[in-house]
Amino acid sequence: MAKILEVKNVTKIYPGVVALDDVSFDVEAGEVLALIGENGAGKSTVIKTISGAIQAESGSIVIEGKEYTKLTPAIAKEAGIGVVYQEFNLVPSLSIAENIFLGDKVGKTRGCPDFKEMKRRSQDIMEELGVKIDVNTQVQMLSTAQMQIVEIAKAMIKNCKVLIMDEPSASIPMAEVQNMFRIIRKLKARGVSVIYISHRLEELFEICDRVTIFRDGKYVTTQNVADITKKDLIRYMIGRELTEKFPSRNAQIGEPVLEVQDLSGNGDFHINMALHKGEILGLAGLVGAGRTELAKMLCGDVKPDSGKILVRGKQMTAHSAADGVDLGIGLVPEDRKQEGAFLEYSIEWNIAIMALRQNSKWSFMDFKKIDELVETYNETLDIKTPTVKQLVRNLSGGNQQKVVVAKVLAAQNDILIFDEPTRGIDVGAKQEIYKLMNSLVEDGKSILMISSEMEELLGMSDRIIVLHEGTVGGEVSKNNFCQEKILELASGIVEE
Amino acid sequence: MNKSLAKIIDFCRRNLAWVLLVIICIVFSFTNPNFLTVKNLLNILNQNSYVIICAYGIALIMMSGGLDMSVGYQMSICGVVCAMMITSGVPVIAAVIVTILLSIAFSMLATLLEQVLKLPRIFCTIGLSTVYQGLAYVITGSKTISGLPAAFKVIGQGTIFHPSLTYATVFMVIAGLIMSFLMNRTYFGRYVFALGGNEAASRLAGINVKRMKYLVGGVAGLFCGIGAIVLCSRVGAAAAGTAAGTEITVLTGVLVGGVSVRGGDGKIANCVAGVLIMGLLANGMQLAGLNTYYQFVVKGAIMLGVMWFDAFQMGRRAIAANKRKEEAIAA
Repeated sequence: MAKILEVKNVTKIYPGVVALDDVSFDVEAGEVLALIGENGAGKSTVIKTISGAIQAESGSIVIEGKEYTKLTPAIAKEAGIGVVYQEFNLVPSLSIAENIFLGDKVGKTRGCPDFKEMKRRSQDIMEELGVKIDVNTQVQMLSTAQMQIVEIAKAMIKNCKVLIMDEPSASIPMAEVQNMFRIIRKLKARGVSVIYISHRLEELFEICDRVTIFRDGKYVTTQNVADITKKDLIRYMIGRELTEKFPSRNAQIGEPVLEVQDLSGNGDFHINMALHKGEILGLAGLVGAGRTELAKMLCGDVKPDSGKILVRGKQMTAHSAADGVDLGIGLVPEDRKQEGAFLEYSIEWNIAIMALRQNSKWSFMDFKKIDELVETYNETLDIKTPTVKQLVRNLSGGNQQKVVVAKVLAAQNDILIFDEPTRGIDVGAKQEIYKLMNSLVEDGKSILMISSEMEELLGMSDRIIVLHEGTVGGEVSKNNFCQEKILELASGIVEE
Repeated sequence: MNKSLAKIIDFCRRNLAWVLLVIICIVFSFTNPNFLTVKNLLNILNQNSYVIICAYGIALIMMSGGLDMSVGYQMSICGVVCAMMITSGVPVIAAVIVTILLSIAFSMLATLLEQVLKLPRIFCTIGLSTVYQGLAYVITGSKTISGLPAAFKVIGQGTIFHPSLTYATVFMVIAGLIMSFLMNRTYFGRYVFALGGNEAASRLAGINVKRMKYLVGGVAGLFCGIGAIVLCSRVGAAAAGTAAGTEITVLTGVLVGGVSVRGGDGKIANCVAGVLIMGLLANGMQLAGLNTYYQFVVKGAIMLGVMWFDAFQMGRRAIAANKRKEEAIAA
């Protein structure tokens, strides 16, 4: 088969990170190529490079034999690259036909589209994709699966030769996935190549011809799907030994402090688990498995539909996160800037905010106590700043995270939920967060750690609970830690 | 030397409204020899007292990240109701208390709508304002209610210590001190700023955001009701259009006082200066023979100017932050 797309020696450097390191691979005409790798392996960077959204430092993209070193979105589209992103780019109030031709000239004059022509061509393309739906329908009336088809049609109308699909099965219901595969097969029959990106490994075996694996910004290998097993795939994705970067700790694990019994709500179903005193419990799962949603219920921010949460043996009846904080449950949220820190205020202001009520008498703040508290936690967390009057906005990501943690600790919370505690912070700061977490559990606090970083989960946790699509996929104890096992549970692969 | 200069500049920046106020006073004292007399200054305070009292509440709402556009007609309807109760024989004390409670209820209604409709407060209050306007005209039949008893007029006209120092002015000063104290010394004040700074983070930090919003609304309603009573008792009458347009004066004053439209910033004391600046300018224009309509033009222009200044500062801050970030990454 002829090569329709070649990625040649592409290197992309972001400040401080090599996102793509001399990556080369190719796509053949009419094939479905899977692109897989862990979070941060460079999948999305490579898509953005091919679609012209970003420009690589070096290397080139060859489309149908023509070499491009500086692709822009317009040139890429012209050359036949189409992308269906996880989030759709559709105008809900316009019809299917209008969306398909959005931004394109139809008919003789720009600004006066030939609606008849538009409808006719939209109808043709939808029929070709095997979908029977009136193209006059407003997009907001469609299901997500139908919207995805409109996105595909939008790419096809531009004579797309390579269609990139980013996590296409993540945005539609499970029942619709087979229909999407049917459409992909139709595209294949037309000679269109598809680059299929997915976390769900089992799908690859159903629809893909070859699979290309990335790890840490590097190209690992390309294999025929027919010649490879799931276990091999996972091994290629991880492919490295656990490094000794996790400090050891000496914590006494005690009685359960937080018990979850048959909890449902906020996208999670029948969750059962327990967090013990002095324990770091890892919560693994793919993006969208319902981990953050669970955290929001545990800290009282979202009310569960059914089931029980027991805090130190007593049932929790929280109406808001305020009640959770009263019970000593503190959340370090995933989104530091939106939900964690008050960026426009000073470090001392941030550290104090959660502890104010405890350190006030008749509503009057006890400034002496509060200042002491701020100083203690500023030192404990070793926040790198000349003064605590510095605005949090001006700190680095790692130090901002420390401020958020200090805020939660200052309120004397002893059940701590860390949602992606080291996301977007540098290696040095990560180490410090790990050390801090160790000393916290050594002091008898308990930590529930949500993380997408496998190393971190394995290195820090005493036990790991794996969520899969809102349910507990399984639990792995420390002496059985194994990345393959966790990835399998997270992807919903059931063996045994 | 350089350090002290920097200190002075910093002081001026933090208290910009007061500095401006002093400058305006100096200019006026040259153009009008009677300006810098105790009597005149007290008169100015008295004239602006009801606006400043209202501004305490509005400042609170803005610091918590909201915007209230219904103050004007909320004051009108409260004043009208109060006057009608008194003329129909309700004891003054009772009428005053009922009016204040009514005003608190109105402001909490705005909060309720905000929560139910999940809309910014500004839209809810614009709608409510129009309703209040209509109601005020309906219940008065577009007539002015006068003939209020001396027992009521004493609130806004009665004086103490000095023939120009009214009870209203004294109340305004005391309320201002209490509000300043509340904002700086109690955790309530910090929670207000927390809400204005980052609502989602406030919620997860264990602040009961809903309750805080009702509380802030309630305090704003309290001051709005008191403002309405002060105004009516000073004028000695109430009409549906009495306080119309006050919302713009208050808003502009509070903005001039350095409260950000985006919330999360500002000081009560500076808002007092902001409102006084607006009052003085209006007074000056009156003396210069410019009528109310010209004053609207100037007021609006000042408001836009202040918002531009605010946006400009925001932009500068963002650029500076970005630059620091880039440097940090490069290093």
